Amino acid sequence: MQPGGRTSCLTPRRVPELNASTQRANDDLAVVDRVLAGDAAAFEGIVRRWQGPLINMAWRYCRDRGRAEELAQEAFLRAWRGLAQWRRESSFSTWLFALAANVYRTELKRFPVETVPLEAAPEPAGPASQHNQLAARLSSDSVRRAVLALPLRYREPVVLFYFHEMDLGRAARAMGLPEGTLKARLCRARSLLRRRFPRLEYEHAAMEMAGKEA
Amino acid sequence: MNRKNTDRDQLDRVQIDATLDATIDRILAAEEVLVPSSGFLASVMESVREEATVPPPIPFPWKMAVPGILLAAGVLGWGAFELVRYCLPAVREISLTPPHISAALILPLEQAGWVAGALAVSLLSWLLSRRLAGRSGLL
Repeated sequence: MQPGGRTSCLTPRRVPELNASTQRANDDLAVVDRVLAGDAAAFEGIVRRWQGPLINMAWRYCRDRGRAEELAQEAFLRAWRGLAQWRRESSFSTWLFALAANVYRTELKRFPVETVPLEAAPEPAGPASQHNQLAARLSSDSVRRAVLALPLRYREPVVLFYFHEMDLGRAARAMGLPEGTLKARLCRARSLLRRRFPRLEYEHAAMEMAGKEA
Repeated sequence: MNRKNTDRDQLDRVQIDATLDATIDRILAAEEVLVPSSGFLASVMESVREEATVPPPIPFPWKMAVPGILLAAGVLGWGAFELVRYCLPAVREISLTPPHISAALILPLEQAGWVAGALAVSLLSWLLSRRLAGRSGLL
């Protein structure tokens, strides 16, 4: 029983996870303090910790490995320049992801990725394909590429929602939008994707099943 | 009977949409994870070090500039006041349709108005098309 008579809803597995995330947040705070005190080399700790997430986030925006690293590097540089502007109202990761999303959005507006129009995105291969696992993978790739063909106002919510493991709140904070707005845009994006791939469910399931059997 | 069929169709549509959404969720959530290239960290830190060695920008000398700005504002204000003081009575005396402007000059002015209107319409349509193209992701 917790103080105030409320029972804990934390499962035993969640407690160490939360402790670890609190520890990580404290580490970030300590590193930021060192950087702000003039220790530029301490910024390496931040880059080392967040390089993976920021590159993967950029990858989802552009699906180009080289470009993803360039975008992530630019995001780190902006973070370095604007570190003093982090007000510590939100966690460091929330601030960093919001900043990165802003950088990616701006950069990709300046130099857009080459995409095919949504209507021209290739249909997934049929379940009768000889190489079903490969076909399943190709169909997944088609859907992912189709996301890039969505208009930006729908593309970005999709990218951030799935990047944040379908956590609507975190995605909304990264975009600086109310959750309701993000939800509405996600709904519209899904509707566009459904319209593009009306038989996706059957084909994907059949291909995956055939792949497993093989 | 018809309504029953419509209801069933709608229910089917909802179920199909839900299963499609679940498949889309499954595909988009299962993304491959990229590992940063070996030189990434070094490259970022090199850029950071370069930025750190650049001297901070020289702040604007407000203390020295403020008296000058105030003086300039005062002179401009005084000039404007004097201009209005001397010109207002003269402007009142000028009639709206000056007789010395001939019809030959008025006609081209009217045409210039039409040209300006056409240019404004072209600009508006260009802006509108850019906006629409931007929304559809073409830009």
